Amino acid sequence: MTEVPTDPRSRAVVARLRGVHKSYGPVRVLDLPELDLHAGQVIGVVGENGAGKSTLMGTLAGSVRRDGGTIEVDGAALEPGSTEAAGRLGVTMVSQEFPLVGQMSVAENLLLGRRPRRSRGRYLVDSRALRAEAEEMLAEIGLSAAAIPVNRQVRALPVPTRQMIEIAKAWGRRPRLLILDEPTSSLGPVEAAMVLGLARRHAEGGGTVLFIGHRLDEVREVSDRVLVLRNGRLVADLQPGEATEERLIREMVGGEIAHAAPKARPTGSDVVLRIEELTADGLGPVTLEVRAGEIVGLAGLMGSGRSRLIHTVAGAQPATGGRMWLADTAYAPRGPRDGTTAGIALIPEDRKEQSLVPFASISSNVTVSILERISRGVLLEPRRQRDEAQAIAAHVNVRMQSVEQPIGSLSGGNQQRAIFGRAFATRPRLLLLDEPTRGVDVGAKAEIYELIDRAADEGMAVLVASSELEELLSICHRIAVMNHGRTVEVIDHGDATKERIMTAAAGTANLTTTAPGNGAIA
Amino acid sequence: MTAQSQLAPQETVPDPRPRPRASGARLLRTLAESPEAGVIIACVVVFVVIAAKAPTYSSVANLQVMGRDLAQVGILAIGESLVILTGGIDLSVGALAGLAGILAAWFNVDAGLPAPVAILITLVICAAIGLWHGAMVTRLNVPPFVITLVTFTVAQGLSLAITSGTPINGIDPLFSNLSAYYIDTVPVPALLFVAAAVVAWFALERTYIGRQIYAVGGNKEAARLAGIPTGRRITSTYVASSALAGLVGILVIGRMNVADPSVGPGWELIAIAAAVVGGVSLFGGEGRIAGIAAGAILLELIANGLLALHVSPYFQQVVQGAVLGVAILLDRVRANYFGRGRR
Repeated sequence: MTEVPTDPRSRAVVARLRGVHKSYGPVRVLDLPELDLHAGQVIGVVGENGAGKSTLMGTLAGSVRRDGGTIEVDGAALEPGSTEAAGRLGVTMVSQEFPLVGQMSVAENLLLGRRPRRSRGRYLVDSRALRAEAEEMLAEIGLSAAAIPVNRQVRALPVPTRQMIEIAKAWGRRPRLLILDEPTSSLGPVEAAMVLGLARRHAEGGGTVLFIGHRLDEVREVSDRVLVLRNGRLVADLQPGEATEERLIREMVGGEIAHAAPKARPTGSDVVLRIEELTADGLGPVTLEVRAGEIVGLAGLMGSGRSRLIHTVAGAQPATGGRMWLADTAYAPRGPRDGTTAGIALIPEDRKEQSLVPFASISSNVTVSILERISRGVLLEPRRQRDEAQAIAAHVNVRMQSVEQPIGSLSGGNQQRAIFGRAFATRPRLLLLDEPTRGVDVGAKAEIYELIDRAADEGMAVLVASSELEELLSICHRIAVMNHGRTVEVIDHGDATKERIMTAAAGTANLTTTAPGNGAIA
Repeated sequence: MTAQSQLAPQETVPDPRPRPRASGARLLRTLAESPEAGVIIACVVVFVVIAAKAPTYSSVANLQVMGRDLAQVGILAIGESLVILTGGIDLSVGALAGLAGILAAWFNVDAGLPAPVAILITLVICAAIGLWHGAMVTRLNVPPFVITLVTFTVAQGLSLAITSGTPINGIDPLFSNLSAYYIDTVPVPALLFVAAAVVAWFALERTYIGRQIYAVGGNKEAARLAGIPTGRRITSTYVASSALAGLVGILVIGRMNVADPSVGPGWELIAIAAAVVGGVSLFGGEGRIAGIAAGAILLELIANGLLALHVSPYFQQVVQGAVLGVAILLDRVRANYFGRGRR
């Protein structure tokens, strides 16, 4: 770890943020009264999922439009919500989803939207200059043209290589403020070390790097200053000496957590879901049991496999190995339909994209899964459908004028309750939840927790994946912590603390050993 | 969750060069990355096989017929492909070609304008229609399918309305000269097709504007973030497509020496088929002029070959449809080869 540079250059403020804030619906995801980013520093940013890291980065890079406040870069005001404006002021971000054009060559991607500096024509492609500059850009960040042939189509390259191309692209713009959003999450150790080296080099050249990290050891190694965000607020601004792993975790998770009253874990009830050595693309091996009336949480960082496990159990992602049983019957789904027939209900993460037909009525949305049961042969029975819809909506307490109004006109929390109602109506044995409270406000959250409790009381087994630890801590009987596709620890409610979960989720001890078969190389 | 592309830690810098593979796999890769080669081979095979069975097929006279036919389908296919490269589709080209012929004839015969002026006005009108398509697609987010279908319907109706359903006779000889002349033994329309292909190839492969059209079609968000004027690039393809449709319409009335309001509609499907057969992906961003030209040639070789082989004309459409079906199948196989790299 380096000492804080005493070089006077480092005193210069590159970016000055005043009163910057951003809300999504009722949730304020970023609120920064005052923040200065200095030249010549690598500034690490850590925080839990949803702490506001990505929003902060997006606000600076222009991909997220801030609701208010001012940002100055080298004294010039940054217009909100414009990546072009941010680029002109020298702010460049390397995001986790690489905006590359798969069908085009590496060289063309590296110089997308601009001409090579030594191009001969103004309109004509100078392919020699293009190649030469592309190779220089790769060499600049320490990659040889032999390792990445600049004529290959980008889509034929593996993901880590694409990440490096994206970094070379950003580097080639000679940014003043370089934002790296979890740049090493898709890289192996050798390239990860290269990227950390680049971050240091940029800082030593007088630039500023904002480094969002998910591996705390990396952040501590590379940063001259570490910012900790929690619930959209800056809760700690640490010098390298202070930023120990324990301190960072403590700041990330906050002080004492009000645990909900611990619930008795059902003992002796039947095992509903049994998973043994389950593997899938990017997942496993996972071994887990969920009993009737039990709520089991899945915790873990982004990409740890929480959603994948849920999807594999639901049959939406094919398993590649291992076995599953549903109530002692072998269960090997070939698709989501097998899951629903076997008595599984899935409430997916993205309400708008995966659950709802927003402009259709509440009635048709909540009865879509049970139409076969409430119809006479292939003929719908409109009155019966409406009555069922009324009953479903009343059961989960959807506040509405009529079941005929479009479901999209309801609030987020009410929509989510309607979706729970639809899932309950299929009378499932196993309820799978992926981020059940995303995008709903605090009051609605509490009601959704009640619904989850009720599902367990009615005898369903519940498996819930969430990025919010408080949520898992307050509703789950047990929490399985996932890391790199595997469950690394299963913690009982009584023993679960945020610190313990975060330590297991961010743990690095087992990461250098052979990893699970996540062959995500496209 | 978007960060699903989590990778296993790797011990070494990944080497993206393909490992030495069996030559079959290498051939597969070559074909997957450049489908044009396959279409060109198919053209040669089809030509040789049919020529062996039907001696008249490879006669100069028949080749000239094919050359003139090719101008129609081929030029439409080039314009259509530009639009498809951006991820759009232009259903109006056939009907617009028909309307362009009627307009040019009407300006010339009924309005009494000299032929060059009539041609110029017609092309400007067509380009303006393309500009309108582009504006609707890029400014108002109207699906390309819908807005060009509107033009398809209106253009078809206008052709009939202007002529009251009867062909316009007595057009200037300049029109037929454009279509009936030969340079040496090569018909002028075939040369125009070659010229259009060369210009399109140059624009797409050798100019930044062309490369940016590919970028917009391949990944619109990446293109936008890189500062490419995506709206203008998309609009330019609609303008080119409509203008080329206009050109085709003018060539067609010259060839028939009469402006018939019933021709045109239906050609857009052949143009789309030629593009797809030539390796243009309907999702955008992919396809090259060599393949598009070869696709148009292949369809013409087959259409004309069926006549030479005395196959019932009623089977023509069946065969063309089957060729398109095979091409789409191959396109999806190719897409799977690249795995999740695409939609």
